[in-house]
Amino acid sequence: MIELHDLRKNFGELKAVDGINLNIPSGQFYVALGPNAAGKTTTIKMICGLIKPSSGTVKVAGFDMESDPLEARKRMAYVPDFPFLYDKLTPWEFFRFTVELFGMPLEILDTRGMELAERFHLQPYLKKTVESLSHGTRQRVAIVSALLHDPEVFVIDEPMVGLDPQHAKIVKDILKERSKAGMTVFLSTHQLSVAEELADRIGIIHRGRLIAEGTVADLQKRMGSESALEQMFLELTAQEDLVREEAESASVLESK
Amino acid sequence: METETTAISPVPTVAESEAKAGQASDRKSPVMLLLRVHLLQARRRMAAIREQSKLLSGAIMGFMACYLIFSYWLFARGLGFIEAFPGLGPLLIERLIFLLFAFLFALLLLSNLVIHYTNLFRNRETQFLVTLPIDSNSIFRWKFIESTALASWAFLFLIAPLLAAYGVKSNASWSFYPFVIVLIALFIALPAVLGGFFAINLARFMDRRVFQMLTVGLASAALLSAFFWLRTEAVTEDSLETRVLEVLDRLLQKTKFSQFPFLPSYWLASGAQLWIEGAFMSATFFLMTLLSYSLFFGAIAFTKLGNYFYEAFSATMSRESVFGQWSWFRRWKEREKARKFTYHPSWMEVLARWIPWIKPDTRAVVLKDMLMFWRDTAQWGQTLMLFGLLGVYIINLRHFSRQLSNPFWVHLVSYLNLLACSLNLATLTTRFVYPQFSLEGKRIWTVGMAPMGIVKVARVKYLLACSVSLVVTIGLTALSCYMLKLSWERMLFFISAISVMTFSLNGLAVGLGILYPNFKEENPSKIVSGFGGTFCLILSFLYIVGSIACLAYGAPRSGAVTVADSVLRGLVSWGGFALVSFLVGYLPMRLAFKRLPKLEI
Repeated sequence: MIELHDLRKNFGELKAVDGINLNIPSGQFYVALGPNAAGKTTTIKMICGLIKPSSGTVKVAGFDMESDPLEARKRMAYVPDFPFLYDKLTPWEFFRFTVELFGMPLEILDTRGMELAERFHLQPYLKKTVESLSHGTRQRVAIVSALLHDPEVFVIDEPMVGLDPQHAKIVKDILKERSKAGMTVFLSTHQLSVAEELADRIGIIHRGRLIAEGTVADLQKRMGSESALEQMFLELTAQEDLVREEAESASVLESK
Repeated sequence: METETTAISPVPTVAESEAKAGQASDRKSPVMLLLRVHLLQARRRMAAIREQSKLLSGAIMGFMACYLIFSYWLFARGLGFIEAFPGLGPLLIERLIFLLFAFLFALLLLSNLVIHYTNLFRNRETQFLVTLPIDSNSIFRWKFIESTALASWAFLFLIAPLLAAYGVKSNASWSFYPFVIVLIALFIALPAVLGGFFAINLARFMDRRVFQMLTVGLASAALLSAFFWLRTEAVTEDSLETRVLEVLDRLLQKTKFSQFPFLPSYWLASGAQLWIEGAFMSATFFLMTLLSYSLFFGAIAFTKLGNYFYEAFSATMSRESVFGQWSWFRRWKEREKARKFTYHPSWMEVLARWIPWIKPDTRAVVLKDMLMFWRDTAQWGQTLMLFGLLGVYIINLRHFSRQLSNPFWVHLVSYLNLLACSLNLATLTTRFVYPQFSLEGKRIWTVGMAPMGIVKVARVKYLLACSVSLVVTIGLTALSCYMLKLSWERMLFFISAISVMTFSLNGLAVGLGILYPNFKEENPSKIVSGFGGTFCLILSFLYIVGSIACLAYGAPRSGAVTVADSVLRGLVSWGGFALVSFLVGYLPMRLAFKRLPKLEI
């Protein structure tokens, strides 16, 4: 469902994403972990077609993001960490806008829209304008809006930011549920507990590279220990830093 | 905690539902959907202002109506004055109209370029739309319509009273007004297309930093050439009496560029003038010329330009620095990165340390605000532009050699200079000083929690704003008095007046900024566009008009005036001015400082 082939992105001299290869099959819950400025958000932006890769390809639901972006976007949803919503619209009006934009029949609002609004406890807010809502409520509105067209691929960046534990649980439940029903989820987070709890597969991105990948058990096997994900994450990123520093020193010596 | 596990009813995907219901063709145009959403948002904004305060919405409407009436009257009087010029009136009016539209075309082009660029590439809505199944052409079309409206509404507001006055003064038939509306509607499409075209290509090929440098360079070059090309010329008594035609000829020669037949402003001005003269066929020819160009370029913008939008959008999101392409820059960056951090105080910090009586906490707030002002190009750029233009005008006053011998003109110009300087100041205090407190609300965790207290922070901000603006306003007023060769008493008078106005306008902005805070918004321009900001701008304007009227009442008069009369006038004038300044500058601040300790942020 999501296929990244030798994906690279350079910002001037900086290699933000440096040759990522990834294949996430239908229905898999994939969690991308990584330190700050590791390249997670840049990878997400390329998956969603917000920026073009410097090289490599992105395919979503079988459609190439560069040559067939509309077909790919019809089948996916993206929720950023601070989603954009129209301030002066009510959540219901925003849902209606989304439904019309995706060319779906408006009746979906009364069935699916209402079910999702109930599930996310949004009913008291449906008639209020978005500007009067808290960050967490806005986040819930964005997630409901993204789920309305029943996407085949769901990309979400830091979904738990601003959500209280109750609504964080609802988001986790619904994403897991949808994933089991066949929706592919690509989630980026710093919360290792979320990855441990939800992921079918975890990818650790560091310095623009996918340095480790697999289930928690796979990663433990690779590290040769039963340590927790946090410990493995710290060790793997530290190892990569060491390898990079050695390579950089070698190249400096060579140039001298 | 209640966890709901209601199963979601299976709903077909977009592609499936389209196929099933055969609705692919029923899909609403994204541009129409976006238009509907934005109209709804605009209606709600208007309603919010009305609900917030009927007084404010009434004041805004009244202010707009007054502007339209006053500027209509001013234009009508101005056109009448020029028309009365023996033998040359109509010629001068014709040239003025050409010149005005040529400059407005250039301004519209610039405004379209800036607004298209920011709206297409620095806008959160655009980023949101790019992730949706909307094709690049539709996104571009919507943003093009939105940017054109944003860039052109002020132009329409500005020229409406002028064209009305021109039509009335020229005894134009009723058909002139709908005709000119069509001409203008077609005219604004051309700078919009050009602005959109340049914005897309700048984004595709130029780094932001290079663009900024190039813009500053071009703007400086344009200002310099305008300064040399259009500077006022010294006109001697002799030349006015014997060679007036020669002087006029030089003036017409210098402004001839506005009648270049390939300029869209030429088509607009010619069409309007010819219609007034009754040459309907010729006027229609210019209308058709504008129509054909607008349709041709409009069609290109609507069908082709959008194809380049995504490439340009991605390019703007993918840049770090254009200098990164040179190895010397990369090496320098690497060296900088490797170097151990050492702190070098900025020149502002060094300067602030020289003032020994400022306490360290006050110095920290002052320094923080000064650094933020200095590093925000928008703030000092706009300040520099507004006061720079005023400075250029004041320096040019030296060329008014003949008028300077006439006390009436000297007094009139000196009061008008005071008016211009205070209006500039009011724009800047509303734009930059008013939102300061609201922005500080976001940083309350550090500034508000500091031992110095939020009241002192507000006081420091007020004093800093006053100190910085006093340097500029006193400097410009003193320069204006010097150029007008006023006596030192009059210079002192104007400097005192502008100083009081500086304290009052800053007090008003700080006071209203605290009384009407907006802690939700991070964008200062959006904070200003709310209730308090609008109120501040209107009140500042009324205060300036009231103050200048009070001060002008006490101005020296010619003719037989007794000493007692002069003293009485002076007392009334300064008394009125002091009272208005106290009410406008001190009261809001006092109310605000009283409220501040109880404010819940």
